[in-house]
Amino acid sequence: MRIHFNLNGKAIAVDAPVGTSALSLLRDYLGLKGTKEGCGIGECGACAIEVDGKAVNACLMFAAQLDGRTVLTVEGLETPSGLHPIQEAFRDHHAVQCGYCTPGLLMSTHALLAEKPHPDHDDINTAISGHLCRCTGYKNIVSAIEAAGKNPGGKN
Amino acid sequence: MTNHYKQVGHSIPKIGITERLTGAPVFSADINLRNPLILRVLRSRRHHARIRSIDTTAARTIDGVVAIFTAKDIPGKNAHGIINKDQPLLMGDKVRSLSDPVALVAAKTDTAARKALDRIKVDYDDLPAVFTPEDAMAPDAPAIHDKGNILFTRKIKRGDPETAFKACAVVVEKTYRTTRIEHAFLEPDAGAGYVDDDGTLVIFASTQNPHYDHQAVVSILGLEKDRVRIIQTATGGGFGSKLDLNVQGFIGLALYHLKQPVRMIYSREESFLATAKRHPLTMTLKTGADKQGRLIATRATIICDTGAYASYGIPVASRSAVHATGPYEIEHVDIESHCVYTNNPFSGAMRGFGTPQMAIAHESQMDLIAAQLDIDPLEIRKINALSVGSVTSTGQKLTASVGIGECLDRLGPYYEQARNEWLKEGDIPYRKKGIGIGGMWYGIGNTGTKNPSTAKIKLTPDGRLTLYTGAADIGQGSSTVLAQIAAEVLGITAESLHLVVADTQRTTSAGATSASRQTYISGNAVHIAATACASALIAEAAALLDLPASALVLSDGNVIEAAGSTRRVDFARLASRLLEKKKPLEWHGVFDPDTTALDPETGQGVPYATYAYAAQLVLLSVDTLTGEVFVEKVFAAHDVGKAIHPENVIGQICGGVVMGLGFALMEEYTPEETDSLKDYHVPTCADLPDIVPIIVEAPEPTGPFGAKGVGEPALIPTAPAVINALAHALGKRIYQLPASLEKVLAVSIETGHYGPKEA
Repeated sequence: MRIHFNLNGKAIAVDAPVGTSALSLLRDYLGLKGTKEGCGIGECGACAIEVDGKAVNACLMFAAQLDGRTVLTVEGLETPSGLHPIQEAFRDHHAVQCGYCTPGLLMSTHALLAEKPHPDHDDINTAISGHLCRCTGYKNIVSAIEAAGKNPGGKN
Repeated sequence: MTNHYKQVGHSIPKIGITERLTGAPVFSADINLRNPLILRVLRSRRHHARIRSIDTTAARTIDGVVAIFTAKDIPGKNAHGIINKDQPLLMGDKVRSLSDPVALVAAKTDTAARKALDRIKVDYDDLPAVFTPEDAMAPDAPAIHDKGNILFTRKIKRGDPETAFKACAVVVEKTYRTTRIEHAFLEPDAGAGYVDDDGTLVIFASTQNPHYDHQAVVSILGLEKDRVRIIQTATGGGFGSKLDLNVQGFIGLALYHLKQPVRMIYSREESFLATAKRHPLTMTLKTGADKQGRLIATRATIICDTGAYASYGIPVASRSAVHATGPYEIEHVDIESHCVYTNNPFSGAMRGFGTPQMAIAHESQMDLIAAQLDIDPLEIRKINALSVGSVTSTGQKLTASVGIGECLDRLGPYYEQARNEWLKEGDIPYRKKGIGIGGMWYGIGNTGTKNPSTAKIKLTPDGRLTLYTGAADIGQGSSTVLAQIAAEVLGITAESLHLVVADTQRTTSAGATSASRQTYISGNAVHIAATACASALIAEAAALLDLPASALVLSDGNVIEAAGSTRRVDFARLASRLLEKKKPLEWHGVFDPDTTALDPETGQGVPYATYAYAAQLVLLSVDTLTGEVFVEKVFAAHDVGKAIHPENVIGQICGGVVMGLGFALMEEYTPEETDSLKDYHVPTCADLPDIVPIIVEAPEPTGPFGAKGVGEPALIPTAPAVINALAHALGKRIYQLPASLEKVLAVSIETGHYGPKEA
């Protein structure tokens, strides 16, 4: 099965067996290890990616469903000038401890801010309620997202 | 307060954060290896059975299967365990719990490996099994291990509690129970490995203790020490579970026989099934106080279910006994803590080693006594709080850094405000509000045993400095904190210090990342090494500049005259001078806290060199119609000695509070029922209360810059504060965790809160 889609700004074509998950396609066939597997059943959000602007759990999607879509993963967040403002906000607000949940949270944040550039507390809670973090207690993650919403261009 | 330090006390960006923000391949599952074989383990799925035979013939014929190993393929000693080597890597004669590994498959694909597991045929003779410690302690109970089912008993005896109880104005005796808890770190256990050109087995692992892993793998494989190298990869949380040997031994065994790259990743379900759980404890406490509320005597019987293997069972039993008084001075104590084998999944270390369980009991007792004496819950804690000069239940006199009183004081204004204002706000008829306090103390490091750490500072000829530490940073930020300590001493920035971390070929042991010990113990080892380096540089500079050493300081990669003159010499020049004199350009630090072993009969001794203290205040409301608990605010005051990295401390506190909420309200691991994240619920951001972290700094004279630790203390007071707040809200106490929706609703019904209410 050949799948064509736009990945992190580039049109690509990749072959994978029928039944491959989107997560496995990214990690095992395309070598993009930034997207993490935490549970494989859509409960933890560690594998969240953005497909056509919406955050989805890559473990619950078939690779074939990416065909013709626009996909953004954590590897596509960085800009030529460095970290994306959302990444900077996570760094500056100490929203990262072990970092395993981080890529998924960054992608959900990116999708949220694309839809609602200035989210309120409830918007943030809804956007990340599908993500588990066992280290931070979420407080600094929420602060980082709030800050990214207030200052979408980052520091510069 | 002014911070005179340039590194310490500043929340610098975490070391390693960019890799984590950009999705760099730093975790074990991500590391690039050439065509690694996939490893999978067949687990017994029997509670207790004798193995008659294992037939791998059919499984070996599956396309893609490269090898299948059983106990007979283990070249060294088929046993591991941090203290008691009672856990075989692969079971030879019998299995003792559902997750016991029986065979290891190496295959070209995961599909082939999984197929092979289905085709391995094991014949078992089932044996009678026991699932409660009480049954396991019965005289005729089936023996789970040859030495019997009682693994260990810790006794602490002091004074004469029986006589003292008679003189008490109030005596409260209650039994408390906690359940098995899953760590639920986000990264399922994982590792990988290959055989180096010189034949060294190189094992990458998600681990909290690479140097222990190294010893264990060397022993299992019967190899020379330098034939095995463990490298800690980025570790996606541990909370105690990644202290045990999980994937490391299997990877070592496969590398030993196959000499080709391998990878092993547990599924979430396997991680739930096969790794340690928090010990369920049954705690019966009898506590007596005088009329003024001063605690006089306590008797505690504690039973810890360690499941099929010891893992960290002994430290849990020992630590729960030592901490049974809570952070309060009690003259007469009689404490016994038993650690018992059962056929349940094995219990091990989990954030707090029995102290979080114990705090449920001692903090509930405080509120029950306060209520009987009509004393305010905050007041009774202040009356009894340990202070400098207090003597603990083990006879240890506390000489410094006892911040529990200040923690309680700092909660005071919030407590008053909550009682006088918050409690009266918003009158929803079916909601009941409650306020609860939880206190705790926590001994830093291992209990009455040696637990040294080592570190090394190295100077290159061009003047650059490297810190070598074996301390595994599992996300809590130890690398950053250790770098800050070294950099402060060496007069450079933490960012400019090169780090080599947790690689057994390059670092020496820093001991486990456990017991909240890395800041205090490894921090001290680093401080000692850095100080030795600084002294050598200053001595050399003094000779060169013809100034007394006392006039010199390190600053920005130079040794300079403290008075601020321009007389200076840079590290590169000093390095070359030291080299010319053939002096080694590396300095070592070793630190082992000053403790003594506890007497086996009386438990008297000095189990820890220092203690962290904390008190938390919880404000919650209960929906009396549904049993739902809304934790609205948590004020968390923590005495950490000195916050080397304040934001790391705050991060630990917030993470600990939320994990504590899970422990209090929702988490319960039941084998074969709550075996994935679908059914085992941990808090999400929807459960997040408003957390107010309060850092208290009662400096520890023996700590690096006065620091102690915070990782485990962060979690400990939360659940008792929630349980006390629930009792306050509903007028009836819950004695068995978790205080689930069902239990809270049952209490609401029993207490007459359930039912239609008029506004």
